[in-house]
Amino acid sequence: MTATVPAAPAAPAARARAHRVTLPGPARLLRLELRRSIMPWLAPLFAVLFWLVTYHPAMANQPLWNIRSGIVPSHTMLAFAPLLAGAAAWAGSRERRRSMADLVGMTALPRWAGQLAAWAATTCWAEAIYLAGVAAVFVVTAHEHAWGGPLWWPVAVGAAFVAASCALGFAAGTLLPSPFTPPLAAFVMFLALAGGAFAIQDNVRYAQIWPLNVQGPFPLDSYGIFYPYVPDLAIAQAVFLAGLSAAALGTLGLPAAAGGRWLRRAAAVVTAAGLAAAGTGVALAGTARLEAHGMVIPALHDAASDRAIAYTPVCSHAAVPVCVHPAYRAFLTDVTAAHGPALSQLAGLPGAPVRVTQVAVTSVKPDPSNGIAFGGPIVSGRPPVLYLPLAGSSLPGEGSTSAAEFTDFLRQLDGRWIISVVVGLSGQDSELGGAGGNVVPLASPRNAAQVAVVEGLANALGLTQPSARSAGKTPGSRMPVSGAGTSVNPPGNGTPSITNQVRAAAQRFASLPSGARHAWLITHLTALRAGRITLGEIP
Amino acid sequence: MNVEIAGLTRRFGRAQAVAGVDLTIGPGVFGLLGPNGAGKTSLLRMLATVIPPSSGTLRLLGRDPGSYPQRRQIRRRLGYLPQNLGYYSGFTVAEFVEYFALLKEMPPERVPTAVATAVERTGLGDKARAKLRTLSGGMLRRAGIAQAIVNEPELLLLDEPTAGLDPQQRVTFRALLRDLGQRSTVVVSTHLVEDVGAACSQVALMDQGKIVFCGTPAELTAQGEGTEAAGDAPLERGYSAVLAAAQAGTGAWS
Repeated sequence: MTATVPAAPAAPAARARAHRVTLPGPARLLRLELRRSIMPWLAPLFAVLFWLVTYHPAMANQPLWNIRSGIVPSHTMLAFAPLLAGAAAWAGSRERRRSMADLVGMTALPRWAGQLAAWAATTCWAEAIYLAGVAAVFVVTAHEHAWGGPLWWPVAVGAAFVAASCALGFAAGTLLPSPFTPPLAAFVMFLALAGGAFAIQDNVRYAQIWPLNVQGPFPLDSYGIFYPYVPDLAIAQAVFLAGLSAAALGTLGLPAAAGGRWLRRAAAVVTAAGLAAAGTGVALAGTARLEAHGMVIPALHDAASDRAIAYTPVCSHAAVPVCVHPAYRAFLTDVTAAHGPALSQLAGLPGAPVRVTQVAVTSVKPDPSNGIAFGGPIVSGRPPVLYLPLAGSSLPGEGSTSAAEFTDFLRQLDGRWIISVVVGLSGQDSELGGAGGNVVPLASPRNAAQVAVVEGLANALGLTQPSARSAGKTPGSRMPVSGAGTSVNPPGNGTPSITNQVRAAAQRFASLPSGARHAWLITHLTALRAGRITLGEIP
Repeated sequence: MNVEIAGLTRRFGRAQAVAGVDLTIGPGVFGLLGPNGAGKTSLLRMLATVIPPSSGTLRLLGRDPGSYPQRRQIRRRLGYLPQNLGYYSGFTVAEFVEYFALLKEMPPERVPTAVATAVERTGLGDKARAKLRTLSGGMLRRAGIAQAIVNEPELLLLDEPTAGLDPQQRVTFRALLRDLGQRSTVVVSTHLVEDVGAACSQVALMDQGKIVFCGTPAELTAQGEGTEAAGDAPLERGYSAVLAAAQAGTGAWS
């Protein structure tokens, strides 16, 4: 120590530093906290978690912005939130752990402000790590030439969840400073996430607020393509999470040591406002209902979300062209291959579709608590066009679905149904039954020939019972879409209802050469559809 | 007077750590002596506005620390080194000192120079970029002193500042104390009587929460003259004599 000079001169290095641009006090404090935060040390752990829990599953899916934008925040926060809460609790409890309470407690800066700086530094790092992960996935997705652009609302909810996790953990660490608080905070956060997941599965109304819930029961690959992403639920979740953050941080300003009277009053207001916002978010989520294109909260809904997005379809050059949304360009070959056999068998027949056009997946049951159902394909118009909702099926890459499985899935699911529609086996001659509530055609005297022809054609095309339905993801049973057009569910496990006579006729018809079947259908389809053909008349 | 205390008490449950202290302290170095448990640290923590008094009046730098706005003004002009110095092990010396400069709401443009000055004055200039966890106990103590003086406080409270310092560092530190005492009030709580003799212009001796002596080091030395009080140095004998008298109930000073 050199105390010989009354006012010791500043070191040259310090003088040089003093000539630099001077940051304001809070910015300097934040910079200092950022530099010495625990979060950079945890970054490798977060990176590994992100790689395993988010990046791999996201990249296994097709490069669709809606899928990737949904997976990234939900998967990331599932892995990050407990760890963030624990790390923030560690940061919040450091004054006590490090015996710094007296030293920090006698400084002029209000304690609350100092704590907010420490929380902000932790949160900035956490947000940076989270957003770096998001950016990695989005950059790769962009390089894969995905149609459209990222859905920012789920990403924003994820960012709000990062801040809330840090705020809750930090508050826990500050108010209960103990070495046990960080692991406890992480465990409680994990329990909260698990509880939310169970509540969602149990269709608890207010559980829609669960921040990992992107669009209610709407499948990830079914929004933001044909219609804008419906942000209602995301807004409610963001309000809820912002409220939680404010309430947690406001609580830190309530103790007498936090600051002066006015500052503590401000903290009380922030806490109350935060609780009110969180409650409002929950209440709003409680009013959410599943509508055609996503979760709608009437109080937040913007009608602009219901306007279709213009696009130019991409079509195959098959005899019966198949057109898909440009976002699904990669699946055009698969879809064409899946429907080609059935469509070529029916080509030229009256009522047979002359084109297949992909349409948006729409929810047809507004109340998710009563089960989820999405509109199925319909045939309508003159000439008839098959409108096919493609999303919601097991796209290649989702789960363990391969391209071949996807093609087979579509072939099995839609092939028999297309034949049924063309042959005239409509909904009025069907009843619900079989696995999964599928419609099963019954062989009555009036429609026995139709059933036999459908079975015969299905057998000839190798369409077995749609067991593929249970393989891979099925978001819900497809239901007829209301409105004009012929629509019926594809048959399910209908074998028991097919009589031996029908089966025999079906086998006869299936054994015919393809050309002969087609020629017979051209001649007799009108009579067959009218129910004037008997089983015996089937060749 | 920078410190004005009247009837100050502090209780922790049933225990009374400080029992009716009256004291006024002006500029200069003021030594606070006393045995373990005498109440020195509790008194210093009250002076540092860390804990409020249970009763009595306290004015620091002409302001009432009971009022938050005034307490905040006091804190801007206060330096404090606690007995048990906590620190964030990941901070460097310079960052640690800068951290407290910012918490003391120093004008940002003054912070870099003030940090460098404080670090230099405590002889840690070559360790400014060293992490605190890499420092020895004595160096940590000096880092603690650096944070206490970074804002050039008008009232500096040092609780056992020389603990862990080697003899040479202690000598240098006494010089620093004398230097600081020329412009501000420095209250030093210590067990080491020689520190008081070397650096303090005034000294108080506490026992069982009360001030049992207050005067100059020479006056304290005089208390031991002609007695058989224990001690190797005259000041130590004065200290022992006053303490013995206080504990016998015949306080030499009140």
